[in-house]
Amino acid sequence: MTQIAHTFSALLLGGCLFMGCSDSTESNADAKDDSANSSPNATYLLTEKPADAWGVGAAREKVKDQGEVTLIGRIGGSADPFVGSLAAFTIVDPKVEHCSADEGCPTPWDYCCTQDQVKDNIATIKFVGEDGQPVGQSAKQLLGVKELDTVVVQGQAKRDDNGNLTVLARKVYVE
Amino acid sequence: MFQRRRLPWEYGVRNLLRRPTRTLLTLGALATVILLVFVVVGFIRGLEKSLATSGDPDVVLVYSMNAEENIENSSIPARTPALLTASLQGVQRQSGVTTVSPELYLGTRVTIGDEDQTRLGLIRGVTTTAPLVRRNVRLVEGHWPGPGEIIVGRLAPAKLGCAVEELAIGQQIEFEKRSWTVSGQFVAGGSALESEVWCRLPDFQQALKRQDISLAAMLLQPTANPAEVELFCKERTDLELQGIGETDYYASLQKHYQPVRMLAWLVVGLVAGAGIFAGLNMMYGAVAGRIRELATLQAIGYRRWAVLLSLVQEGALLSAAASLLAGLIAVGWLNGLAVRFTMGAFALRVDSVALLIGCGTGLVLGIVGAIPPALKALRAPVAESLKAA
Repeated sequence: MTQIAHTFSALLLGGCLFMGCSDSTESNADAKDDSANSSPNATYLLTEKPADAWGVGAAREKVKDQGEVTLIGRIGGSADPFVGSLAAFTIVDPKVEHCSADEGCPTPWDYCCTQDQVKDNIATIKFVGEDGQPVGQSAKQLLGVKELDTVVVQGQAKRDDNGNLTVLARKVYVE
Repeated sequence: MFQRRRLPWEYGVRNLLRRPTRTLLTLGALATVILLVFVVVGFIRGLEKSLATSGDPDVVLVYSMNAEENIENSSIPARTPALLTASLQGVQRQSGVTTVSPELYLGTRVTIGDEDQTRLGLIRGVTTTAPLVRRNVRLVEGHWPGPGEIIVGRLAPAKLGCAVEELAIGQQIEFEKRSWTVSGQFVAGGSALESEVWCRLPDFQQALKRQDISLAAMLLQPTANPAEVELFCKERTDLELQGIGETDYYASLQKHYQPVRMLAWLVVGLVAGAGIFAGLNMMYGAVAGRIRELATLQAIGYRRWAVLLSLVQEGALLSAAASLLAGLIAVGWLNGLAVRFTMGAFALRVDSVALLIGCGTGLVLGIVGAIPPALKALRAPVAESLKAA
């Protein structure tokens, strides 16, 4: 009887422990790499604000393909103006208004109230390396910028037949 | 040496078998509480698993910027997939076919059989490139849909709230004023796709009188960067497109279900709390009937802590048995049970985490539930307890 009681107890407790002890590797799948460097890269940053910067709206009308351009704008235009793991983002002409802080909009940089104006006042900024490819680091980390920051960008304009404006940027001044 | 003397292990085991009715009742109550914990944790785990597996890291979804996070609201020109293919590097090609899947996705009213009642179903109009992009999709029965035909996901009956037989091959359902014949069934590794109904894209466009599509799903080469697609969409502002990795898309949906998950965990806490109070009540009753026995044990030399340990051992054994019983029911019956929710259906998932939480709750119920009544009984003077009726 003593042996049966021991065996019975061991089986019960052991069974409970066994049931909860498998597939422990699953939770590791969610592990994230937080090792990214968050300090801005000075190579791309200007210490003085460039003069004679174009507003995005005016630049879309006048700047030609391949031309050098200095552009001023505010980071935004959509709920997520940054491009994942690349040093690229969209800017909107400072003349276009966004929701003010007291309106309680959680994402004022998406210009939800003035979307009709955004279409003609938006440009894409991408920082490219010597190979012409976008720099493979988030602009937030590379430049230390965030949504609604006003930036002045220097670089080469890229236009297409549909009126889109992209700046292959070399330098940026963050206000 | 006498002070270290403990009650034999089998004393507690025998005690359980000595009062079979009370033991069985306690076992039943504990098992019910633990089963409830399994249901709630299985629900949370199933929902999490469904959203977690609903995404391929190499697949990027391109859809309308105006749709925000809801693909059902998206409408993009039908030429978009061709434009993406021509403009972007890094899209996979398989047997000469570019792996871009144009899809029209809609939640609509579905009538099953001859019923008057309609149910909300998720329909996806696809082309033959869809299985190349949606790599976890497997046709397990029947054949790829021809004109006027559909294939149904394994969880589609749960989503539509009908019997599996009603969506068997050859059965007919109706949506968008057309009758469709089931030609096959598919699985998709437990992802959200499994709760959908798929038909041919041209048929669905014709039925809806639409020329556009909802999205283009692109399978990229493993070396390609999904952010390149995102960048293309940002540069072509005239197209008003947005690109997002499929895993990121479903991760964003998970955020919407955060309140549901919080509520479910609250239910787990409440159920466990109620279980502890019920267990306490039951253990108080059980110990109250054994006051003389416990006093006798003390009178013959066993210390209070030894008697307490024996009572805790009884509680632990009983709750372990209840945990095993509930665990077996949960694994055998609950696991895989389909549950309908807003964006489809998912299967309850009684996995290792659910078992650990359920069995852990059960053991805590048994051990913690036994301590207060045992302490109360042992606090009384031995002489008085021996005289107790």
